Amino acid sequence: MRVVIIGASFAGVAAAFEVRHIHPDAEIMLLEKQDTLGYIPSGLHLYWDKKISDLDEARFVTEGQLDKHGIVYHLNATVQKVNTTQKIITYDQHDLSDQLSYDKLIIAAGSRQLSEKITGSAQESVLKYKRYDEAQAVLIKVEESEHITIIGGGQVGVEAADLLTTMEKQVTLVESMDYVLFKYLDEDMIKPIEKNMTEKGVDLRMRQTVSSVEMESDQKVTVCLGEGSVTSDAVIMGVNVRPHLPFLDKTIKQHTDQTIAVDRYLRTSVEDVFAVGDCIQLSGPGEDRVYVPLINNAVRTGIVAAANLIEPSRTFKGSLRTIGTRVFGKYIASTGMTEAESLFTDRTVESHRQEVRLTSLADSDTVTLKYVYDAKTHELLGAQMISDANILEKINVLALAIQSKQTLEDLQQTDYFFNPAYSQMTATTNLIAWMDERADEDEN
Amino acid sequence: MKIEHFLEKNEVREITIFNQLVLNGGTLSYGKMLNHLGVSKASLENDLSSIAVRIEGFDQKVQLQYDGQTIGLSMSDDLSLQQIYRLYLDQSIKLQIITFLFKHQEFSITQLTQKLAISESSLFRKIKELNSHLKEFGIKIRNGQMQGEELQIRYFYFQFNCYIEDKATFLAEHPDDRLTQMIDAMEKFLDVTITPENRERLKIWLIISNARVSIIDKQAKRLRTQMKAYRKDPFFHKIQVFVLRYFSRYSIEVDEVESMIHFAFLLAFPVLTEPDFHEYRLLRDRHAPIASMDTLIAETIINHFKYRRLPYMLERDMSYHLTHIHTRLYFFQGDIEIYEYEGIIAKEKQIVGTNVVSFARTLLKTSTKTLADKTGESNSLLKMELLKYISLLVLITFKMASVIQVGIDLKMDGLYKETLGELLILKLKPIKGVRVEHYDPTKIYDLVLTNEEPKDQANYDDARIYILSEILSSFDMVNIQRIIQELN
Repeated sequence: MRVVIIGASFAGVAAAFEVRHIHPDAEIMLLEKQDTLGYIPSGLHLYWDKKISDLDEARFVTEGQLDKHGIVYHLNATVQKVNTTQKIITYDQHDLSDQLSYDKLIIAAGSRQLSEKITGSAQESVLKYKRYDEAQAVLIKVEESEHITIIGGGQVGVEAADLLTTMEKQVTLVESMDYVLFKYLDEDMIKPIEKNMTEKGVDLRMRQTVSSVEMESDQKVTVCLGEGSVTSDAVIMGVNVRPHLPFLDKTIKQHTDQTIAVDRYLRTSVEDVFAVGDCIQLSGPGEDRVYVPLINNAVRTGIVAAANLIEPSRTFKGSLRTIGTRVFGKYIASTGMTEAESLFTDRTVESHRQEVRLTSLADSDTVTLKYVYDAKTHELLGAQMISDANILEKINVLALAIQSKQTLEDLQQTDYFFNPAYSQMTATTNLIAWMDERADEDEN
Repeated sequence: MKIEHFLEKNEVREITIFNQLVLNGGTLSYGKMLNHLGVSKASLENDLSSIAVRIEGFDQKVQLQYDGQTIGLSMSDDLSLQQIYRLYLDQSIKLQIITFLFKHQEFSITQLTQKLAISESSLFRKIKELNSHLKEFGIKIRNGQMQGEELQIRYFYFQFNCYIEDKATFLAEHPDDRLTQMIDAMEKFLDVTITPENRERLKIWLIISNARVSIIDKQAKRLRTQMKAYRKDPFFHKIQVFVLRYFSRYSIEVDEVESMIHFAFLLAFPVLTEPDFHEYRLLRDRHAPIASMDTLIAETIINHFKYRRLPYMLERDMSYHLTHIHTRLYFFQGDIEIYEYEGIIAKEKQIVGTNVVSFARTLLKTSTKTLADKTGESNSLLKMELLKYISLLVLITFKMASVIQVGIDLKMDGLYKETLGELLILKLKPIKGVRVEHYDPTKIYDLVLTNEEPKDQANYDDARIYILSEILSSFDMVNIQRIIQELN
């Protein structure tokens, strides 16, 4: 059995390893558009954050690991056409066109950060760095820039703003919504971050849509907004990513948003063709299908598709859109439904915000938690955290609780260790009314 | 644009035959029909045979009898002219072109000639004809695409699917749980109530919008200029936040134009209820073009009728309707004439008098001068908005007309008194704004009709008294009507 996987990023590589694990005799071939393997899309942030000393260190897989598992890979291979009737893939590599037949096909072509609405955003001077070669170019450009404009206040945009501010760059951040990170946090939770951003000198332009990006004669770039404009030395695109699948066969059904339609087993409308990662919609926190392009989903979908190659055996459990990061001195994490997003569910949802101490000691840090739950059943639906201390791992506890449909009362019964130096009377992730430290009242 | 623009000449004639028969009680002589159609007898015979073939599908529910002298139409009770129009429209090639274009967003000539089984030249001719009618919408079919401002394209498709295409089929072809979810979420987020009728309207709009949301290179230059006055509008802001949040759930990039398009639609068409609109009205910028035009026109109406002021709820209602009219005039171009404009104007004139119609024309002139650079009677949007002004004026006059209490106090024998009194009541009842009854001394009247001079006028309090010269005479009737008008 020959399994061809289009795309050797997280989803493709995870699928390849899992196929090897399940089918030791399968012939596995990865086709990757980039000329490098396994680059971590946020590698540049790791470099700016001094977590790595060279961009080359930002890799999640090496050629050696693939070789060891007998996985064949073609770099610099751009797929031009997929013929699902004849089961043939046409691709270009080093200016030559080649063809490859398959028995099973997994489309893991990922996504790209490109705007079709912002005129001039495709030009080179508008920086994107999801790919290794792009990141290298950005590294140089940013070094020589003093003032940088970031378009988009999502995770990429806010992380970049933080790192660039630390590097003493002047940063302007443009976001079309009322507040940054709106997909993951509610407005009441984001206030400390926005406060820190402003204090650190970030010029926040909320509720502004970028209509175009124009090059000026002096190498500067102007970002035109609904009202006014910003001229800076460089512009970074932090907008949402989208799949780019020009090679698709018309028989493979797509949704209106250009994602590939798949069933619970990640099978497309065509037999023996699977789609994973950023190419598909997933069952989201509200249990309806949404687009959640996160690496954790990419890896998990890759594994599930691999398990279903011969016959449908494993369904994809869906995504809670769990994230965790540190920006502007705060650790933030989120999983499941936000209160703002509960708009799209039939359930009646309630929320509760509380600030709790992390340990029993006098100098303990605190964490502000927000729980979103079903008003009737008390089933936990979402959680958000913000703290000066590293509480990121705790979000996984709550993600697991949501996935296993636990109620707030169930959570109170969970058996956690107690050690005064590391924990409180009750676990941090329990919603207990008398543990509140007036987080809700702060609002009023 | 008219519905008949989707039909061929002979089809329009056939529809006219049905129309004439319905207007004339189901029967018409050949002579009268020929006069009306302005065609030869042979041509009429042709049309009648063609109709006979077409209605076969109705399985005897529609029958056409013609014998060279008279034409007769009979239809079963559960069938109306609407279904006959539907029969013609369903076979319309032009309608199929628009439907195909909506579904596929783009077409090649070969694709379409094959699909419709027509020749290339015939397809080009039909597209050319369609374009001549699409012109008033500011859009055209070119290079296999619908081209023009995005708001106008969606607006046209909306009107098309509401009035030309079979609305029920269109809705049935697009079942989508996400749409229901989107409308429910919109209702929650905007904190409004969307009634079932408005929900259907919104659903059609959202099907069209969602089908076009991913199109790249949308034109919105005109809309962006128009929206300058509304950038800080609270309702626009809410819509913007909703649109961004909704589409952030999918791999769809939206810019502010998407929110602008929805803003224009939600204010121009009855989607919000009056109480919800009123909430917005309290918050909106009164100096923005639509709001200030609402105020100007409302004041002009109040002054014209010499009202001191309108009752609170009527004033709110007027503002609600005026905003729809003015939003349409401000943002949109073109319309589909769903009512026979000339016919309605003529009927309105008969019912409400020429004054109301000409005053409505003045209002339209005032509003279009500021809100839109559209002129000319041929513009369907102006025609339809004129009808709306007329309807609004009629509504206001009806609601403002006070009811005149008339008491009939005949001095004669019991039997005559009763009978003639009833006959008088019957005759006076059709007069608008009048309540007539047998005189009751415990009640207060504005006018008392009697046949003898009252012995003591004070018995009737302050009521005006008219003494009938000859009960039921036309002389008296004219006088009574005059007095009622004076009292009004």
